[in-house]
Amino acid sequence: MDFLLSDRQKALREGIHGFAASVIRPQALSWDLNAGIPEPFLKQMVQMAAQMGGQLGVSLEPAVAATPDEMSESGEKKKSSANLTALIGAEEMAWGDAGLLLCLPGPGLGGPPVRASGTPEQKERFFGIFKDMSETLAWGAYGLTEPGAGSDVAGIRASCRKEGDEWVINGRKCFITNGARAAWTVVFATIDPALGRAGHRAFVVEKGTPGFGVGRIEEKMGLRASETAELVFEECRIPSANLLGGEESYRSKEGFMTAMKTFDNTRPLVASMAVGIGRAAYEYARDFVKENYLLPRSIPRYAAIAERLAKVGRQLEAARMVTWRAGWMADQGIPNAKEASMSKAIAGQAAINACIEAIDICGAEGTIAGDHRLLEKWFRDIKVYDIFEGTGNIQRIVISKRVIEGLKGF
Amino acid sequence: MIDFAPNEDQQALQDAVRQFAKTVLAPRARETEKLRGFAPDVQATAVEMGLSIASIPESAGGPGFPFVTRVLLEEELAAGDPAAAYALAGPGAFALAITEICDEARCKHFLTPFVEHPDRFGAVAWGEAKPVAERGGFGTSAKWIGNSFTLDGTKSYVVGASRADTLLVFAQVDDAAEWNGVGAFVVPKGTHGLSIERVTTLGLDGADIASVRLEHVRLPRASYLNEAKDWSHRLLRFFVKNALLVAARCTGLQRAAIEVTRDYVQTRTAFGKPIGHFQAVAFNISDRFIDLEASRAMVHRAAFLWDAVAADQATENEAFLASCRAIGFAQEAAMRAGNDAVQLHGGAGFMRDYPVEKYMRDAKQLQVCGMTTTQTDQLASRIELGLPLEWSLLIPSAESQNVFV
Ligand SMILES: Cc1cc2nc3c(=O)[nH]c(=O)nc-3n(C[C@H](O)[C@H](O)[C@H](O)COP(=O)(O)OP(=O)(O)OC[C@H]3O[C@@H](n4cnc5c(N)ncnc54)[C@H](O)[C@@H]3O)c2cc1C
Repeated sequence: MDFLLSDRQKALREGIHGFAASVIRPQALSWDLNAGIPEPFLKQMVQMAAQMGGQLGVSLEPAVAATPDEMSESGEKKKSSANLTALIGAEEMAWGDAGLLLCLPGPGLGGPPVRASGTPEQKERFFGIFKDMSETLAWGAYGLTEPGAGSDVAGIRASCRKEGDEWVINGRKCFITNGARAAWTVVFATIDPALGRAGHRAFVVEKGTPGFGVGRIEEKMGLRASETAELVFEECRIPSANLLGGEESYRSKEGFMTAMKTFDNTRPLVASMAVGIGRAAYEYARDFVKENYLLPRSIPRYAAIAERLAKVGRQLEAARMVTWRAGWMADQGIPNAKEASMSKAIAGQAAINACIEAIDICGAEGTIAGDHRLLEKWFRDIKVYDIFEGTGNIQRIVISKRVIEGLKGF
Repeated sequence: MIDFAPNEDQQALQDAVRQFAKTVLAPRARETEKLRGFAPDVQATAVEMGLSIASIPESAGGPGFPFVTRVLLEEELAAGDPAAAYALAGPGAFALAITEICDEARCKHFLTPFVEHPDRFGAVAWGEAKPVAERGGFGTSAKWIGNSFTLDGTKSYVVGASRADTLLVFAQVDDAAEWNGVGAFVVPKGTHGLSIERVTTLGLDGADIASVRLEHVRLPRASYLNEAKDWSHRLLRFFVKNALLVAARCTGLQRAAIEVTRDYVQTRTAFGKPIGHFQAVAFNISDRFIDLEASRAMVHRAAFLWDAVAADQATENEAFLASCRAIGFAQEAAMRAGNDAVQLHGGAGFMRDYPVEKYMRDAKQLQVCGMTTTQTDQLASRIELGLPLEWSLLIPSAESQNVFV
């Protein structure tokens, strides 16, 4: 057992922390108010990430857990610390600004399904565009949610049918992160809604494909720097080569499994971001107490505040430990679907609670916006962490199925 | 490098104790409760397995387990029967306290007998029912008269007192110094004037909880312990580490309570299906599993940090903070687990035919063992706010909140 970070992880954390404190935070509120992050800054981030040796947690894309084809010759699973390192980086980045994390160029949430299910040709083609972003930035996206189907993934209505060497997609996707700017989006559609999950197919839809358009860009409570778009498909024709994984991989329930594989890897990452935001709020309240409430007089409220602070700190620590364990399991090649959901469920709640309590502790001052007064922003940003990538209840369904025998769903 | 897995030795120990808990402690938990203690054959097995000397450092001939190993064992024992973690632990808290407050020579002196006689017990007599109105500190007094100390007073909430061969008794040596005037004394069983009265408690009955009366108990100078300069700080460390062991027990209790409840909701049917297939029930079970996952990882990390402090790889404040968070979380989570376990069993849960009502009582009892969440929260926030760790404000007492030690 060991709970010390490696030197590399420590350096990464300190590096990101310093950058987040001195560069990211001072701009975070203006990005939020202007609903976007200037491209020159994003370019700078891309260069930095490259210098730091690739993703290093500054990309939304986690390392994918060892899959059978990555087994070594002795049959042992490859072990790494890539997932855990990504979690540590994500917490620190989100401590700076969670909006920025979602805006970072790269495959984003579209990365894991392509990596997990794409053919070698598809991986080469779709990841290739991110190799050199010194001139043009590029994004990937993930389009599953529809106006009529969010949690109930099996209920998607976007349709697809095969015509010759092409697939034709019709339907709408909503709330798609980076959906308007993405060079390509992994889009889920169904050959026949009556087939349920077995009817699902995943496509990589490239920007500019005729019949594919962007609808409204949402105005949100928080994470306003991040683009959230509606995607519209009208007789949109996709070459067969863009059917993710190729025809063969849909003989079983795989179509749906593609979507789920994504979440085992991304949930702890999202949980880590939540912990980062929660921690930011906690530290803000803690420092506020230090500066304002520690008068050398015995005021009953002080003891109560100390307890509330401690409770928030304890819940965040609990969330971080569950999250780290889920990431560690992925690194060890241990299936972690249950623990990944646990991390997301506990972190979303702990972090929301941290933001709520932090404002209470600071009082009126806690709700005032400013470049160095980001508490009200964190309060706005955090709520969605209990919603996207599966709501708290959806995580509990995943866990329930894995702890209660014979339970198929609700 | 982060690693959540126990090493091979720890795994082997864990497996052995888990087996013992599953085949002996859990099935006989009700018998233990009726006996108000563990049957001689159970105790003998525990001694054979080395459980009674698990708390003894290497310098005194014990196994000198890292703290991580200690919490692993505590969780397993408590999963069988939370009382076992107390009643089968030999010197238990006594050994931890001696290790924290004494130098190596004295440690060896007081603890070696427990290795030589692994069927012996120890206890720590700390608490008192009422605060002293006019000053801080204890009402039990230790006065230097002639060439010996004379102790008078009553100590309460002492776990394992009636079976203890040796007690560590805290008494007021200097009234004016208030909490800084408290001294520790080693008192052997059978000392004239020492009497022990067992009390009945809500839970953990197998753990043997008692109050200790001292009437003109005369002790030689050598039984007086606190000479170290940072004595009070050492005592704070004892309380936190001891409470971390309680947190490990809370983790074991959670596991037992949740697993038995999970099994129950899979078989009990209502409205045509297993009740576990109703969402409200399944989510409740899921939440308790999340609690368990968090408690265990937090306890392991805190224990690891104490080992890291010993190896100069972490600061004491880091270990304090992680411990406080783990203790508060695990204690509250255990209470939630016990409460929900009974709730999900319905009326049957209220009956002693099922183990869950015991888990609920034991959980509440464990919440007032070691340190309370109020105390760990105060300590945690003092560390976080950079305030001095005034030990007298932070340790359990009738002034702050009494606990079982
Ligand atoms: C900022 C933002 C970014 C997003 N980015 C993306 C993206 O990039 N790609 C993408 O595909 N989607 C994205 N989403 C969509 C997101 O994944 C969904 O909003 C989410 O899955 C919830 O679905 P829903 O909004 O339809 O809520 P609903 O499914 O309508 O849920 C409403 C409520 O009902 C509860 N509920 C639903 N079913 C059950 C059940 N069986 N049992 C108990 N409770 C239940 C839910 O927990 C929730 O509380 C994004 C959303 C937001 C807000």
